[in-house]
Amino acid sequence: MRHPSSLKQEFLKKWILGLQRCGFSSKKSTSIMERKKAIKLSADLAMASTRNGTACWSRALIANASRDHESKILAEQILGPESQSLKKASSTMPPVICSRRIRSKKILKRSCSSQVRRVRKIALPQKVLSANSVAKRLVQKRTNILKSLVPGGEYMDDISLIEETLDYIAYLRAQVDVMRFVASATEVVNRNSD
Amino acid sequence: MEPNSASYVPGSCPTRPEPEETGLEFLQFRDEIQRLMTVPPENASSFRALLELPATQAMQLLHSSPHSAAGGGDEHKRHSSSSFTNGNLTFPSNKALIERAAKFSVFAAAAEISPETSSVPSNSSANSDKVKTEPAETDSNPGSSNKTQTQKLAKRKERQKKGKESAKKSKNESREDAEKLPYVHVRARRGQATDSHSLAERARREKINARMKLLQELVPGCSKISGTALVLDEIINHVQSLQRQVELLSMRLAAVNPRIDFNFDSVFATEGGPLIDGNIPSMVSPLMWPENPFTENRQNFQQQWNFDAVHQPLWGREEENHTFITPENSLFSYDSSANSASLHSNQLKMEL
Repeated sequence: MRHPSSLKQEFLKKWILGLQRCGFSSKKSTSIMERKKAIKLSADLAMASTRNGTACWSRALIANASRDHESKILAEQILGPESQSLKKASSTMPPVICSRRIRSKKILKRSCSSQVRRVRKIALPQKVLSANSVAKRLVQKRTNILKSLVPGGEYMDDISLIEETLDYIAYLRAQVDVMRFVASATEVVNRNSD
Repeated sequence: MEPNSASYVPGSCPTRPEPEETGLEFLQFRDEIQRLMTVPPENASSFRALLELPATQAMQLLHSSPHSAAGGGDEHKRHSSSSFTNGNLTFPSNKALIERAAKFSVFAAAAEISPETSSVPSNSSANSDKVKTEPAETDSNPGSSNKTQTQKLAKRKERQKKGKESAKKSKNESREDAEKLPYVHVRARRGQATDSHSLAERARREKINARMKLLQELVPGCSKISGTALVLDEIINHVQSLQRQVELLSMRLAAVNPRIDFNFDSVFATEGGPLIDGNIPSMVSPLMWPENPFTENRQNFQQQWNFDAVHQPLWGREEENHTFITPENSLFSYDSSANSASLHSNQLKMEL
């Protein structure tokens, strides 16, 4: 893993750049929600761009951001000139392929389940709920939740999901640290100059 | 004994010629078996495979049946499986196993009393697959003193083997596969299905478990928990809490600063000022900016901030390189706390 402090520095740099880029276009949006969105978005994009598309979740983040109508413009602004390569990387690979995969999986599931359901209904009363199956179902539930949490997680198999989670947790920690630091510092500044 | 072993005819079980075997004959048998083992591979390579592996397996079956109850079964299994994989190649291990099994089978044979001579050959003839292995076992099992005892033993082994027949065959196959593909290092453990599907599944599970361990180390408080579901619970909670923290912090930042492009410079100035002499003049000037708006009336905030904004880009972008790198260095090397930050900001103000 990269050295955490260098990671944070890079993240901070990009975050500041992004904020400046998105803030200067106009004097609009003094509403707190929009500001918050902009801050969060720029932070997300900054972190994602530091990965340079090496991690799936970063690509998924950028892809999601550029897909949303609201955040699209902002995202483009923030990413700025470097965004071209990132956008290409993010837009082409994961969502298209993964949507195809998902579609095929759904078709398979539908075709299988219609047959299986009848069999299962017959077998259910005889079926003994072994501890194994219960545990498996629990784990399956939780992996689904995790997939929904990690950006781009729905498209991955279990092994890469866990790797992505590792990466994502490290990123979130760095982001939280930096943001907390900046927030407390600005509050200190405000307090002192008041 | 070699011609006997070479002629594997179903029903020709009573190849063992003679009657009572004393300890000497026991030794003789062992020697014969060793000779059997040392038969050159050209003659009967697959045959030898059948001979050796079933023999070792059967011995392990016998060997491990009392041990499997104990907790040390795993070690035995692994040991047996490891010697298993070398079964074709290493003779010493086979010999050791044979000796052990010989001693063991003596006890086992002694435990069983009723002879069933006729039943055994019929049983063997019934199953074509097992026929070959059975006589092999009877031949290779040197420990029995009675023909009946050996047959009884063989029958017992056969019964035990019946449960694991397919497993054994696939074990052979899997071992061969493992030898062909050196990168597949999955141990086929005892009592586990070992066709290619379950092997792949097991490899996958091991990968997942390895990565789960990494995750456990990363997430605080997870290392004590055992069980995948609970660990996943913790991880999910952790990720959710981190995401919520990000949201809260961004809200906080937004609340603190009326404009998006808030004063990073002042922030850095307060934190990093004392540590970097060269930047103090540059730090000082931005420090002027925040003072003005804050001392003013809050209703005039926007105007001040606009003024600020106008000046900021000039300053910020020109000296981007200097200010961003060095304050960050100082930021992260500096153990920031609110008290010390206020101290330093006071110092800077005094300097002004």
